[in-house]
Amino acid sequence: MGREVAESCFDGLIIEMVSAYGRRFYATKPDLASRRIEAIGFQVGHQLIERYTVERPRFSDHLEAIKFICKEFWSELFKKQIDNLKTNHRVGTFVLQDNKFRWFTRVLIDPSSEDNEASQGSSSEATSMLLHFPCGIIRGALSNVGISCAVSADASNLPSCESCILFFALKFSI
Amino acid sequence: MIASVAVVGHQNNPLYLQSFTNANDALKLHHIVHCSLDVIDERVNNPKRSVSTLNESYLGLLYPTESYKVYGYLSNTKAKFLVVTTDLDVKDADIRSFFRRFHAAYVDAVSNPFHVPEKKIVSRTFAQRVSGIVKAFAAGTNG
Repeated sequence: MGREVAESCFDGLIIEMVSAYGRRFYATKPDLASRRIEAIGFQVGHQLIERYTVERPRFSDHLEAIKFICKEFWSELFKKQIDNLKTNHRVGTFVLQDNKFRWFTRVLIDPSSEDNEASQGSSSEATSMLLHFPCGIIRGALSNVGISCAVSADASNLPSCESCILFFALKFSI
Repeated sequence: MIASVAVVGHQNNPLYLQSFTNANDALKLHHIVHCSLDVIDERVNNPKRSVSTLNESYLGLLYPTESYKVYGYLSNTKAKFLVVTTDLDVKDADIRSFFRRFHAAYVDAVSNPFHVPEKKIVSRTFAQRVSGIVKAFAAGTNG
């Protein structure tokens, strides 16, 4: 019933949103910008999970909900599933590993700044800004099914984006 | 005939209440919905039957009184849908398909970026869609 949009428009929208919040609205306060971006992701995840869980029976525990996020939810958003799920039951943490995060396959890290030590930090800062949005989506999706947690993400081996591995760590508040 | 429908959020806050009878019985409607919420909580928290019914969304007949019956449906995000009907014989399949359409309309209403979560649904499109679903249900059971 809905109309479709080219994926590149969506990529452009996300990149511009992150850069608008990071460089224009809250240029001097990066942690406020990251919180706003995460809040946007929260609302998106909150509404998306409502749509994707329509036909399903209810989840009986946390693990089922996380598995749903790893499989169906991730396939709807990124056309693939999470590649690896690790858990530490006692501490209540789950680590989701995605070996080829779709939104980052087109992120360009400025090549002129690669040699400079100081701007290595800024390129990882730029990607960490981008990461707040999917973290917010996961947090919003889980909170709507009744699970509150904190989500953080870690991207390794950027700037080679063809093989960029993303780790999402979910910490449950008990 | 469907007397009213209601959507209640996961903190038991009312999101949408609509009555389709001409009488001015909003208070009675609130009261019925309130009592049904207790029945839903009891059904979900104390499963007397096997585990499979614990996870199903459609809760079935919640409680019958002398003039109406209340049917319930619980979504994955703990949103509760209630239908109060005065029909004496209602087919299970009809009610299930009603809830499916009702749920779809709710999902579309909640996906509206201007809708504030956990506040009342004010969308006119949603109200029109729900009236349409109720009319189709009435036509289906009469015809």
